This record gives sequence, C-alpha cells and structure tokens, in this order.
Amino acid sequence: MDFALDQTQIAFKNMIIKFAQKELNANMQERDRKAEFNWNGWKKISQQSIFGLPVSEEYGGVGADIITTILTMEGLGYGCEDNGLIFAINSHMWSCIIPIMEFASEEQKKKYLPKLCKGELIGGHAMTEPDSGSDAFSIRTTAVKKDGKYILNGEKTFITNAPIADLLIVFAVTDKNSGFAGISGFIVEKGTPGLTISKDMEKMGLKTGPLGYLVFDNCEVPEENLLGREGAGAAIFNSEMEWERSCLFACHVGVMERLMEQSIHYAKHREQFGKPIAKYQSVSHKIADMKVKIELSKLILYKIGWLKMQGKKGNIETAIAKLFVSEAFVQTAMDAIQIHGANGYMAEYPFERMLRDSIASTIYSGSSQIQKNIIASLLGL
Amino acid sequence: MNVHEVLEKFILKEFVVDSDTNITADTDLLMQGIIDSMGIIKLVNFMEEEFGIKVGDIDMVPENFQNINSLAEFIKSRQ
Repeated sequence: MDFALDQTQIAFKNMIIKFAQKELNANMQERDRKAEFNWNGWKKISQQSIFGLPVSEEYGGVGADIITTILTMEGLGYGCEDNGLIFAINSHMWSCIIPIMEFASEEQKKKYLPKLCKGELIGGHAMTEPDSGSDAFSIRTTAVKKDGKYILNGEKTFITNAPIADLLIVFAVTDKNSGFAGISGFIVEKGTPGLTISKDMEKMGLKTGPLGYLVFDNCEVPEENLLGREGAGAAIFNSEMEWERSCLFACHVGVMERLMEQSIHYAKHREQFGKPIAKYQSVSHKIADMKVKIELSKLILYKIGWLKMQGKKGNIETAIAKLFVSEAFVQTAMDAIQIHGANGYMAEYPFERMLRDSIASTIYSGSSQIQKNIIASLLGL
Repeated sequence: MNVHEVLEKFILKEFVVDSDTNITADTDLLMQGIIDSMGIIKLVNFMEEEFGIKVGDIDMVPENFQNINSLAEFIKSRQ
C-alpha cells in the first residue's frame, strides 16, 4: 500500500481549508441557535468545484481520484465549523450525485449531473421510514408501474436535505416477494404531484443541516426516472454508503484535528497550580489519545481510497472506518470539552456544539452496532 | 468442480442453516431469502476471489444473482 500524497492533493486540501475558514464560518453560533441553513455558504462552496470532485469532466465534474476527494473532505471538515452545512454537502454528494454517476442512464446523467456539480440543484436520498432504520431494506414504500409511470405510496423520515432538495433518490419496493432484491431507486423531483415535503425537523445537533419527512400519496414518477434497473435499489444504496462511510467521515477527521489543535493551544496557555495544564498527564494523555484516533482514522480512510483506486472492494474496511471514526469523533469532542473545562461547556465556545454535532455520526450511515454486525458477518460469524 | 458446484458448495456452507435443505441450479436464492443483503456482499467477495472476476456495483442486480444458473452465466460473461 502506498499512501504518499502528492503536491496536487495537498494543495487541493489546503485550498479548501483556507476557503472554508474565510467563507463558511460567519455567524456560526447564531445560525446554530436559529437552526438556519447557510445558503450563502452553499452558494460560495458551489463555486469551488467540490461537489463534482469524483464526477468526470464530461458531466461537469473534476474527475479527481478518491484519495484527493477524501483529503479535500478532510480539509473541509478542518476549515468549516458548520457541521450542518458539511452534512448537507455530503448528503448531496454521496447519496445523490454518486448514485446518478454510477447507475443513471446517459440521458439522466446529462440532465442532472452538471447542475448538481454546480450546486444549482440540491440532492439527497430517501431510504429511512418510520418502521425501518437499521433494517434498511425492510422499507414499505411501494412503486407500482402503470401507464408509463411509477405510482409511489409511503412515507420517509429523517431525510437529510429534504426541505431544501430539488431532487431525491427515493427507494421503493417494486417486487414485494424478493426482499432486498425487490427494491428500486427513483429520481424524484421536488414538485412531483403526490409528494409532500415537511419543514425542517428539530434535532439535538447538526441544527444547520435541514432534515425532513416525506409523504408519497399516489406520487406519479415518470418511468424514465427509474435509476438503474428494477431491483437495483440495494446495489445503489450499498454503493452510496461505501462512499459516504469514507468521504463524509473524512470531514469528521478534519474536525477532530481542529479540536486537537485547539486543545493543545488551550492546554499550553491555561495555567493551574502554577503551570500550564498541558504539563499534567491527565490532560496531555487526552490529547495524545486524540492524536492516536486521528492518525488511525486517516490510515483506514486512506486505505479505503487506495483499495478503490486499485479497483478492489473495501467492505470490511469501510465498516471499520465508519465505526472507528464516528466513535473517535464523539470521544474527541468530549475530551475537548473536558480539557477546556467550564469554558468548553459554554455555548460561547464551539466545543459543546461539536459534541452535539458528533453524536449523530454513530447513528447515521448505519449505527455503530450495525457496523459491528457487518464486520462480524464478513468474518464469517 | 465446475462453476455450478463451487457456487452450490459455498452457498450451502455460508447461507443455508438447515442441513436438510437442498438447492438446485434453479432455486430462487433471493425470493427464498437464502441470500440477504449482507449475503450478497459475501457472495460477491467470494466470486471475485475464487473466479478472478470484477463485480461492479451496477452488476449486483437480481438477474445476475437470482439462482446458481444466473450466477454461473454472469461469471462466464466476465471471465
């Protein structure tokens, strides 16, 4: 394995760090308090070619390799303090752009990808339902083919970007007898008759990232909006999860790195009992633990990137990365608060928000427990 | 062993809990719930290693994984 990074990759990461620090962090506390999506930030990042990183130039993308993409997302997480915006960006990229890039027809790619890459269209996907979460393929939303259309009926919940999305990849059952193999994916545009989208749902963290509920009531989706073949839903979902579990979680590694640097700075300057608190092992060991988590997170993410670049699968590595990075993210945020003491607990500082934002990472994209199930299953258990 | 036999042996060993269960080349592995969403990933990993083929995400659709016949046909098309 060769994880050596070239100058172009490092330059891309540094560019996004500088951009994010300068353009994406204004009024962060206020936006978090009001649970406001950063539309201005979205417009600015749309001009940075980030959304189209993995997409070929033919469809308006950059055509970057996955290691460059992972590094860039790491830089975004390091520079951008708005985890809700980061979450929206990642949902747009991995759960909408990627499935269209990998499974769509030529016509669908030409119709949607250029605008998605420019951020002129906002995307997401709709899998989770009131009665299906970890058991993702037990969905009940149906799609029945009739007169050149698919008629969708059902409900979806906890849908990232739903209140702001222009199109969603919606998963529905087309063959109720075939289990996971009877699920298909559809490109559903906002405004499709029979589709109702809720307002933003209130949540503990990631407050600036819109989340909503969908109702499909005889929603008529044109036949040509089927994504891939009938029955390809599970393949589409698994494919996008592999991207999300590596690239979204690269953003979290960037956040962890920033939290560690802030903790080091504070520990060196905050004096108690006549010396900097960094000189107490109870503090310095927490920071050492942060460094260990960051380095191991990077290694597993870069390994996934390397595997994908070799054309190999990384099923178990992706589950390990998702599990490890999300748990490390929560612990790092907790430790950052502890090191900053009462200041860390105050909303004036970013640490309590980082903790609130981090917790969902152990739940979305498959909970920690589901990742352990995947790892165990792939070990033949 | 030919491709059919290799696949049958793997499927019986990995996915069939009941030792009395028999599968044929036409047994619907998906509708009968023999292969679930996790099972297909294990099966793909096995196929790539055993037969030296590449299985893309786009290939993981029911018509390629319905039964041992369709699996063998798919493997043949990739060798």
